[in-house]
Amino acid sequence: MKGVVVSLKETRFERGTVRNMRVHVLPTKQFKTFAFSVYIGSPLKEETVTPTALTPFVLRRGSRAYPETRRFRERLDDLYGAGFGFDVYKRGDAQIVQFRMDVIHDDFVSGHEPLLASSLKFIGEALTDPALENGAFLPKYVDSEKDNLKKRLEAIVNDKIRYAAERCIEEMCRNEPYRLHPLGSIKALGAITPESLHASYRQWLQSSPIDIYVVGDTSLEQVLPFVDRWFQTEGAPGIGYAGKTQHRAVEQVNEVIEQMDVGQGKLNMGLRTYTTYADEAYPAALMYNGILGGFPHSKLFVNVREKASLAYYASSRLDGHKGIMTIQSGIEIGNYEKASAIIKEQLLAMEQGQISDIELQQTKAMIAGHLRELQDSAFELIAFDFNNVLSGAERTVPALIDGIERIGVEQIRRFAQQVKLDTVYFLRDRKGGA
Amino acid sequence: MALQMLPHEHVKETLYTETLPNGLTVFILPKQGFQKTYATFSTRYGSVDNHFQVEGGERKKVPDGIAHFLEHKMFEEPTGDIFSVFASQGASANAYTSFDRTVYLFSATGQIEDNLRTLIDFVQNPYFTDANVEKEKGIIGQEIKMYQDNADWRSYYGLIEAMYQKHPVHIDIAGTIESISQISKEMLYDCYRTFYHPSNMMLFIVGGVDPQRIIDIVRENQAAKTFQPQGQIHRFFEPEPMEVRASLKLTKLPVSLPKCLFGCKEPGQTAAGRELLRKELSMKVLLDALLSPSSAIYQSLYDEKLISDSFGSEYNISEQYAFSVMGGDTRDPELLVARVKEEIDKAKASGIQAAEFERSRKKKIGAYLRMLNSPEAIAGEFTKYRFKGVDFFDILPAYESLTLEEVNEQLRRHFDWSRLAVSVVRSDAE
Repeated sequence: MKGVVVSLKETRFERGTVRNMRVHVLPTKQFKTFAFSVYIGSPLKEETVTPTALTPFVLRRGSRAYPETRRFRERLDDLYGAGFGFDVYKRGDAQIVQFRMDVIHDDFVSGHEPLLASSLKFIGEALTDPALENGAFLPKYVDSEKDNLKKRLEAIVNDKIRYAAERCIEEMCRNEPYRLHPLGSIKALGAITPESLHASYRQWLQSSPIDIYVVGDTSLEQVLPFVDRWFQTEGAPGIGYAGKTQHRAVEQVNEVIEQMDVGQGKLNMGLRTYTTYADEAYPAALMYNGILGGFPHSKLFVNVREKASLAYYASSRLDGHKGIMTIQSGIEIGNYEKASAIIKEQLLAMEQGQISDIELQQTKAMIAGHLRELQDSAFELIAFDFNNVLSGAERTVPALIDGIERIGVEQIRRFAQQVKLDTVYFLRDRKGGA
Repeated sequence: MALQMLPHEHVKETLYTETLPNGLTVFILPKQGFQKTYATFSTRYGSVDNHFQVEGGERKKVPDGIAHFLEHKMFEEPTGDIFSVFASQGASANAYTSFDRTVYLFSATGQIEDNLRTLIDFVQNPYFTDANVEKEKGIIGQEIKMYQDNADWRSYYGLIEAMYQKHPVHIDIAGTIESISQISKEMLYDCYRTFYHPSNMMLFIVGGVDPQRIIDIVRENQAAKTFQPQGQIHRFFEPEPMEVRASLKLTKLPVSLPKCLFGCKEPGQTAAGRELLRKELSMKVLLDALLSPSSAIYQSLYDEKLISDSFGSEYNISEQYAFSVMGGDTRDPELLVARVKEEIDKAKASGIQAAEFERSRKKKIGAYLRMLNSPEAIAGEFTKYRFKGVDFFDILPAYESLTLEEVNEQLRRHFDWSRLAVSVVRSDAE
């Protein structure tokens, strides 16, 4: 059965530059909102990862215009409860800080304030014109956000599924920058002062690529003057993302067992794919991941869960910027050997090209469906476009769907043969020997 | 019967609806420009419906977790796993069970008609065998164990357990390993026949669709199937005492900081329909004005390092129960509860101010409008409210007509500390 082709809308970002900041605007009437994303990226490094992670926590405490946190947040409430938040994460060898904001389109509310302009002013000032005292951040904000970030780092262990996933990556990449947690380390927090943080913030703002996205019923022409006026910074000319990550060879599989007070065991595996987003083989990587463990029809779900009844979840995930893949499952602790063996059988089946036409067709339909669905979300459209900025690729949704459609079993088999299992991590209880 | 058109001009949406001869209610919300279609097929049947009787039939009590078990088993057909059929049609399928409903859904960008038929047909075609029921016990057992290790989940359900003595809302949606061991295929068929009758169900379709074409497909599909008419379903609930079961519930799990959730249980029958909605919305505005990140209380507690970004509040109301939930991670649960009580008592004395009320109301209206960008959220919320007898599109006008007086009345009424329960998860609990 062939999927019905739904005509894809033209998603054409209009692009401009203001003082080395790249501005990307997608004019559309599809949404009831304006959506904004600002990405600031820097190389993932032990020395800077913690102050960079702390910076957005302090910036969201107040701007020069609204130095008091309560007034800063009331301002958002007054913009019809505009959403404002940030994320700090790793993409390949970069640490990305993303600020997000979304606000209602003026048509739906009766106020007189132009919401597009007010939002860009708010986000621009929050990022580039923060509340300061004697040329540094406010000590009370730095102090309380250091405490808050410390609690966040300590809390990683609370969610065992995430904890196991992060520990697996940390073990696998122990000799690479990717071992670092995007929120930094508790150890490095201690030395940070309001002055040192302000200095690293200035350095970060001036030396990092800045990408500003707007999606909504507007245009580049309308947005550029607002950015010019409210984003009071100047990036360095010609800076972009370094692009490709370094791939490492696997000499032998690293097995790690960790004990904690848990009832369910968490089995995680890390694999190297030697393929990243901009590579020609990327569609094959997507297909490999989809057939192996991306969906409920995939080999892992069917064999670990449905056939063997060993787990509630069993899946794989592709990290296209780092070029690694992870497998995760929650199992009865005594079933470690059994579950590992079933997972390894599935990896072997992939290498041998044991992929049915149905698996191939279903996986194509699912991936294409997900790619088309992106277009219904302003933030997903932005994230897809930013993948290109990060990797130097020039991929469109239709081109990627076309690439997926062309993949056959032979290409997946060839891809599977270059995938190498690197690390097996098991989080288990304290009973029995490790 | 014809397809009825319900325009909601204030939000630029038009809803279409029809109730079919077999009792199934269908809603269609076309969204111009959207690639995706999202459909939910829901039954008004959740974890609390464990004691019931169909008019003319016998009264039945069933094991805890059976609604959720049934949801898992619906995905299996004689021909295999239904996920595989959806995958061939490029659709993502899923389902969830809550206190009062079970929802089956798919999202897809193509083959909408095939996917819609697949959704309706698989939910209307139960296939349970002794072997496939036994096999599912292993999978659900791991799901239960996964939640047992989840500290946020344990603190939340620990609170409901502390609040309710009789009402089944305090029972784990998935049941326990013990309770699901009693489930048999006969029990599943019993529950299925009772609660999956079309008259107890609704279908909601939202996305880039033609309403007339969609209703034609549903009509044709349903006309080809026979359902015996079914009498009314009676659900039985033991009377719930006014008092909480326990004022403190302690759970031991490895966590970096204690997790502390607390809230007040409201006594007796709550409300229904529009009255229920007004109560819910005024409580939401109230909790926002009192405890959101832009409130004075939040900032004080944050400065005292008693709360972090994890601090939040919510209000849950159905026709039978209503309670608030507040809290998050904290260094000192006792102090946090004492400080919140102290601050709320002060607010009770002075009342919420008009400016605070307006700001919170504006924020809630903004959040509601932003939600209309999301087909998933619309389908989910519409269904949730519909089963409580509330029209989702009444929310905006209700917010607009809300008064400061109503909110202040909730403030005086809701926070009765004699009905406060606290749930704490910590590493050193005994």
